[in-house]
Amino acid sequence: MTVEDVTRTDSGRALMLANEAVVRAALEADVKVVACYPGSPTSEILDTFSEVLPHFGDYRMQIAANEKVALETVAGASMAGLRSLTSMKSVGMNVASDALFSIAYTGVNAGCVCIVADDPHAHSSQSEQDGRHFAEPSYTPMIEPSTAQESYEMTKWAFEISSKYKTIVMIRTTTRVNHQRGLVKLGDLKRTPFKKNKWSEVKGQYFTVGAIARELKAKLLKKIDDIRPEFEQSKFNILEEGQGRIGVITGGVSYLHSKEAMRNLGVSLPTLKIGTVYPLPEKKIAAFLKRLDTVIVVEELTPYLELRVTAIAKDANPKIRIIGKRSGDFSEMLEYNVPIVEKALAKFLKKPLSLDYDAVTKRADQLKSILLERNPIFCPGCPHRGTLWAIRQALSRLRIRDKIVYNNDIGCYSMAMLAPNNFSDSMLSMGSSVGLSAGMEMALDDKVIAMVGDSTLYHAALPGIVNLIHHNANVTLFVLDNSITAMTGQQYNPNSPLDAGEQPARKIIMEKMFEALGSDSITVIDPYHTRDCVKPIMDALQAKGFSVVISRRECALYGDHLRRESEVPIVRSVNDKTTCRSIYNCVKEFYCPAITVDESDSKMRIQTDLCDGCLECRQVCPTSAPAHVDGTTEGPAHMSSGTPG
Amino acid sequence: MKDTYDIMFCGVGGQGLMLLSAILGKAAVDSGLEVMTGEQHGLSQRHGSIYVHFRVGKPISPLIPYGKADLVIAMEATEALRYVEYLRDDGVVIMSKRIMPPPSETGAVALDKEKKRKYVTVDQIVERLNAVTHKIVALDSLELATKAGNPLTENSVLVGAACACPDFPIPTEAVRKALLSLVPRKTVEANSAAFDLGRQAGGTCLG
Repeated sequence: MTVEDVTRTDSGRALMLANEAVVRAALEADVKVVACYPGSPTSEILDTFSEVLPHFGDYRMQIAANEKVALETVAGASMAGLRSLTSMKSVGMNVASDALFSIAYTGVNAGCVCIVADDPHAHSSQSEQDGRHFAEPSYTPMIEPSTAQESYEMTKWAFEISSKYKTIVMIRTTTRVNHQRGLVKLGDLKRTPFKKNKWSEVKGQYFTVGAIARELKAKLLKKIDDIRPEFEQSKFNILEEGQGRIGVITGGVSYLHSKEAMRNLGVSLPTLKIGTVYPLPEKKIAAFLKRLDTVIVVEELTPYLELRVTAIAKDANPKIRIIGKRSGDFSEMLEYNVPIVEKALAKFLKKPLSLDYDAVTKRADQLKSILLERNPIFCPGCPHRGTLWAIRQALSRLRIRDKIVYNNDIGCYSMAMLAPNNFSDSMLSMGSSVGLSAGMEMALDDKVIAMVGDSTLYHAALPGIVNLIHHNANVTLFVLDNSITAMTGQQYNPNSPLDAGEQPARKIIMEKMFEALGSDSITVIDPYHTRDCVKPIMDALQAKGFSVVISRRECALYGDHLRRESEVPIVRSVNDKTTCRSIYNCVKEFYCPAITVDESDSKMRIQTDLCDGCLECRQVCPTSAPAHVDGTTEGPAHMSSGTPG
Repeated sequence: MKDTYDIMFCGVGGQGLMLLSAILGKAAVDSGLEVMTGEQHGLSQRHGSIYVHFRVGKPISPLIPYGKADLVIAMEATEALRYVEYLRDDGVVIMSKRIMPPPSETGAVALDKEKKRKYVTVDQIVERLNAVTHKIVALDSLELATKAGNPLTENSVLVGAACACPDFPIPTEAVRKALLSLVPRKTVEANSAAFDLGRQAGGTCLG
C-alpha cells in the first residue's frame, strides 16, 4: 500500500511511515545513489528503496558491507556529481564516523544526505546513544524532524543545503520518529534518467592531511558560519506563542509529547521547537530566553540542548531558571512519553494532571502479575536453536562447560545470552567477539569461543579474524551462516548472491575465504542435523590454534519466504504421544515457542500452526517422538540458493 | 472532551498486527480522518510481544498516554493484559481467546513435579481486566475464521468486532473496503465473511 504511495507520480496526501516519507522525499529530490547497511530503526529506508528500485530503475543502490562503506559509497557518488543518501542506526555512525570527520573537511559535490537514528530506551540497540554529538565535533550540519511530514520536508531541504554548501547533511531521528506513521503531503515526482558523469567535468580535490587539513579546517569553519544564518531563519525552528513567562524548548518527538501534555493540562506555553540541531539558531534561542523567567528543556538522552541553552542564557538572560536534566526534573535515561512530560510540566505550573498516571501503572503492574515475560526468542525453525544445543552438548561431553569464555556478537543469535543457553560472557558491538577473544586468549587459561553471524562477519569481524589467524590464536569461531541479515528483516549481505532490488551479486564463499586466510581447521555443519553436529564441534574445539565452525542453514523466516516463492509446502510436525515419555528435553533445552504442554496428559504438544517443520526437536528428543504430520522424519531441504556444500 | 480515539493493537510477533494497523489506517484516511501511529519494528520479529499505538482524530504524540486507550485489540489473550496500563476505565477490549504461552511458562508447567502449575487462562485474564472494564469481547477468532471459510482470517474477525463498538470512529463500510483491498485476492470472500461474523459477535457482546 505505502509502496504505491512512494512510487505514485502525483502530489497528494498519503499515510506513511516516516522512513517511507524519507524515501519518497529523496526520490522527489532526484537521488541517484543509495547505499545502506540495515539497522533498526532505519531498516525500512533500505527496504523501501530496495523494493521500489526495479520500478524506477533510475538510481543505483547497494546494500553495503557496513555503515562506513555505505557512507563512503554515497560520499564518493556525491563527489562524482550524483545526489546520494545513506541511513544508519546510532551505533552505525560509530563505525562510519572515521570517514565522516574527513568528509566534513573535504566537502562533497552533489547533495549528500545521511540519516542517523538514535534508539532511546535501547529497544533494539546495545546502548542509548545520542547521535546529536556527532554534528558539532565533525562540523556537519544536522537537522531533526518530529513527524513523518517533517521527515519528508527535511529530507528535501537537506539535499538543498548539501548541494548549496557542498557539505554532507545529517538528519537525526529517534525510534519514535522513524516508526511513526502519519499523513504526508507529497510533492510531484519527476525523476531524471540515470547518467554517469566524466571525472574531468566534475572533479574536485578530496584529500586532507597536514597543511591541507589546516587550510580545509579554516574553510570548514567559514562554511559553518555561512550556514548559521540560514539555519537561524529556517522554518523548521518554530516559535509558538503562548501565555506566561514559563517557556519550553524542545525538538524531535519530545516536541510532540510536550504539545500533547500542554493540551492535557489546558495550557499553552510559549514553545521554541528546534529543527536545526547544528548549527543551533542561537539568536532565536537568546530572544526566546529574554522573555521568560523559566525555561523547561524537553529532550531525550543527553542534555544537548540544555547545556547550549544554558550557555546562551549566560549572556541573554542570566537570571532565567533552567529546568531540565541538570535540575533533576528529567532523566537522561529511556524514552519520554506524554505522561512523563505532563508530570514535569504540571509540577511547575501547579496544575492537576489530566489523569493519575502513577495510579494507572501501579494498578496495571498488579493486574499483570500472573504473566511471565514474553521475551524475544528464536523463531520456530530457527537454525540457531540447533547450533547452540549442539555446542552445549559438545562442551558437556568435553567436560569444559565451565572452562570456557563465550564472546557473543550482534544479531538474532545475541539471544544465546538467554536461557537455556546462557552463552554470553560478552557482547559489545559488531565484530567485537573476535577482538575481545584475542585479548582473552592471551589472558585466560580457558577455551576462548567467539560467535558471529554471516552479516556481522563481513561487517566488522573480518579485521579481528585476520588478527586471530595471523597470531595463531587458540580461538574457536562459530559462524552462524543463515544466508541473510536476519534480525533487521532479512536483507542481503556479502553472503548473498543478490543485492538491493534483487539485482545479482557475487556471493563471497566463506570457507574459501577462511582457507585463503590460512585457517587450517574449517568445519561446515548443518544445524538441522543437530545430533550430527556435536562430534565435529568437539573436534573443532580441541583443534590447536584458530578453528572455525560454519553452521549453515537459512534463517527460518527467509526459508519460509523462499518456500512460498517456489511453492514448496511447509510440512509441520506433531509429537507422537505414544513414543513421548515426558522427558522434556524439548522444553528444558530447546525453548521453541511452538512447543507447549498438554495439561491433560502432561505430554508435549506442538502448536501445529506455529511449527516450521524443522524437526530439530526430534533431534534433541531421546525417544525421537516428534515427526512430520505426514509421518516423514527428515528435516526440510536447504532453500537458499548459491549455497555450496 | 476527548477529540482523539485511541486504539492499542497488541499481539505476538508474526500474527499480522502491521496488516491490521494498515487496514484501519487506510480506512481512516479514506474516510477523511487524521491518523497517527507509533509502531514497533525491529528486534521481536516473531513470538515477541508487539504493539501498535493507533490514534484517530487529533493526536499529537505517536504514543497513547497510559490509561487513555478507548479500545484494545489483542490478537492473543495474554497480550490484552500485558498492555492494560494503556486501557482507559470502561474502555473496550476485543481479544482473541487464543493463548500462545511463552516457553518460560511451558517450562514452569512441564517441570512442576506436583502438576499444580497451569497455564494462564482466558477466564483469569478477563477477571483481571474486569478491574478496569467490563466491556470485553473475547472471541474464538480461529473458530469464527474457520467458519468463514479460511482459518487465516482471524484478523478480519477482530476488525469486524471493532466496528461493532458504539463509538468506533471509522465507518464500517470504509473498513470493509480497505480490508478487502489489502488481503490477497483469493481470500476476499472468506475475509468479508469473517469481518461480518466478527461484527455480529462484537455487536452481541457490546449490546
